[in-house]
Amino acid sequence: MNGLSTSRILLRPCTWVYVALMALTVVTWAVGRAGLSGLGLSMLVLGLALLKGGLVGDWFMGLRQVGGTWRWVVIIWLLIPGSLIAIAFMLSYVN
Amino acid sequence: MSESAAILSSEAVAAPRVAYPPGDLAIWIFILAELLVFAIFFASYAFARLNDVELFNHYQATLDRDAALINTLALITSSYFVMRGVVAARDGDNGLCARWLWAAVAMGGVFLVIKLVEYAHHLGAGVSLSTNTFYMFYLSLTFFHFLHVILGMVILTALALKARHGGYSRDDHVGVESGASYWHMVDLVWLILFPLVYVMR
Repeated sequence: MNGLSTSRILLRPCTWVYVALMALTVVTWAVGRAGLSGLGLSMLVLGLALLKGGLVGDWFMGLRQVGGTWRWVVIIWLLIPGSLIAIAFMLSYVN
Repeated sequence: MSESAAILSSEAVAAPRVAYPPGDLAIWIFILAELLVFAIFFASYAFARLNDVELFNHYQATLDRDAALINTLALITSSYFVMRGVVAARDGDNGLCARWLWAAVAMGGVFLVIKLVEYAHHLGAGVSLSTNTFYMFYLSLTFFHFLHVILGMVILTALALKARHGGYSRDDHVGVESGASYWHMVDLVWLILFPLVYVMR
C-alpha cells in the first residue's frame, strides 16, 4: 500500500472525527450556556476536552499511524494538564 | 456497513505504522516546547483559581461563550481543512492542497476577528491585566494563544503559496506536513483552553 491510498482511506474516518469534534464542542458549550456547575459536570467537560484532544492527535496530526513513543506524545501531554486541572477543581470543591 | 465501507475501514486499521510523526522532527520538538508552556499556563490558572473561586466564577460569567463556541468550531474546521490539504499534497495535487489551505486560513481569520471583537468589548469596559486575577489569566492566556493563531496563519499562507506554485509532490510534502502539525497544535491547545476558561466552574 502506498502513501496515496493510505491518505485517501483515512479521509472518511477523519471526516467522522471532525463531525464528532463539532458535536462534542456543542455539548461543552451547552453546559456553559445553561450555567450548570458542579464537580461532576466540570469533570465531564474536562473529559470531553481530553477526548477531543486525543482525536485531534490521533487522526488530524496522524499519530495513530506512528509507532513507539511518538504515538503517545499528545495523549501524554493531555494527561499532564488534564490531571492537574482535575486535582485543582477537586480541591476547590473540598475547600 | 456496506461492503466497500467495510473494506475501507479494515484497510484504514491496517495502515502501515511509521517511526516518526508527519513532518520535520524539528517542528515536533518545537510543538512539544509550546505544549509544555501551555500546560504550565493551564495548571497555573486552575491552581490560582483555588485562591478565589468566587471571583473566578463571577468574572467567567462575563465572557461571551457564544463567541467562544464559534471560535472553537472555526478552529476545528480549519484543522479539518488543513488535514485535507495534507492529503491533497501527498497525492501531488497542489491546486487542491492550496484551496484547502486557503480555506483553513479563512477559518483562522474568523477566529481572529471574533477574538478581536471580544477584546474590544472587554477593553471598552475598562478591563485590563491588572483588573483582577481572573482577567489577568483570561487576557494573557487567550492573547498568547491568539499570537500562535497569527503565526499559524502566516505559516499556512506560505504553504498555500508554495502549493499554488506546484511546490509539493507525492515524494516531497514534508513542509506542508510540518506546518499542518503546528496548526493542529494551535487547535489542540484551544480545545483545552475553551472549557477551562469559559465553561468549567
